Amino acid sequence: MILLLAIALLIWRGAKRGLILTLWFVGLAAMIGLFRFHVTSVLDLSF
Amino acid sequence: MGEVVIEETRIVEEPAESRGGVWGFITYWGLHAWVLAYTVVMLSAFFIQFVKGEFPCPLCMLQRYGMILATLGALFIIMQARRGQLTTARYAQGLGLGLIGVLAGASVSVRQIELHILPGDPGYGEPFLRLHLYTWAFVTFAIVMIYVGLMLILMPRGIPHAPAAGSAARKVSTAIIWMFIGVVAANVIAIIFLEGFAPVLPDDPSGYTLIDQIKGR
Repeated sequence: MILLLAIALLIWRGAKRGLILTLWFVGLAAMIGLFRFHVTSVLDLSF
Repeated sequence: MGEVVIEETRIVEEPAESRGGVWGFITYWGLHAWVLAYTVVMLSAFFIQFVKGEFPCPLCMLQRYGMILATLGALFIIMQARRGQLTTARYAQGLGLGLIGVLAGASVSVRQIELHILPGDPGYGEPFLRLHLYTWAFVTFAIVMIYVGLMLILMPRGIPHAPAAGSAARKVSTAIIWMFIGVVAANVIAIIFLEGFAPVLPDDPSGYTLIDQIKGR
């Protein structure tokens, strides 16, 4: 979340586009990693 | 021997200052509506967290994460437009960030909906207007997906056009942006209190871990 705040502030300050896009993808990777960490069970569903 | 025809590919990098008009106005303020809507959604989540005492689970926080990630795409476009640096390519980049962000958030929402899909399952937290918050989150992600699709259809006619610096409209724009940044900062503080010294949120949070840890409980 701190990373997302940093990206928002960098966008506001007009940082280089490459830096913003790189950090955004780092943020996305972190989100996917957290999702992977928290989702450990297989859903017991049958239709 | 036949003539070889090489098609010219033009990279769209021209500044979009010459555009604007009604579509430029609509798309510029449409992006602000996006930023403002997610700011209000996250403020509502804070209301439920602090006033109703429902603590956000890790999947709930990840959905907020997806909302912020997507809104950064809108913020990127707005700031490029305000600086007069917005090109068709940069506009597409911002929309792309937004689209991937909502797809990531929607994936988390779908997972949480599926967790509580079985008949008789009460769901997580109190429902709002007959739907749980994670279902509403999915609805918002779907709306943004449709919005991004429409903006791509309108492009390049609908390149956002920012109002002049110093105008009242510019001040409204600044206020909306800072409200969003403020809510993101509030989320940072909230998550620090929820996680405490742990690197991740507890699966079923029942209090502010940081306060408990400081008090030695």
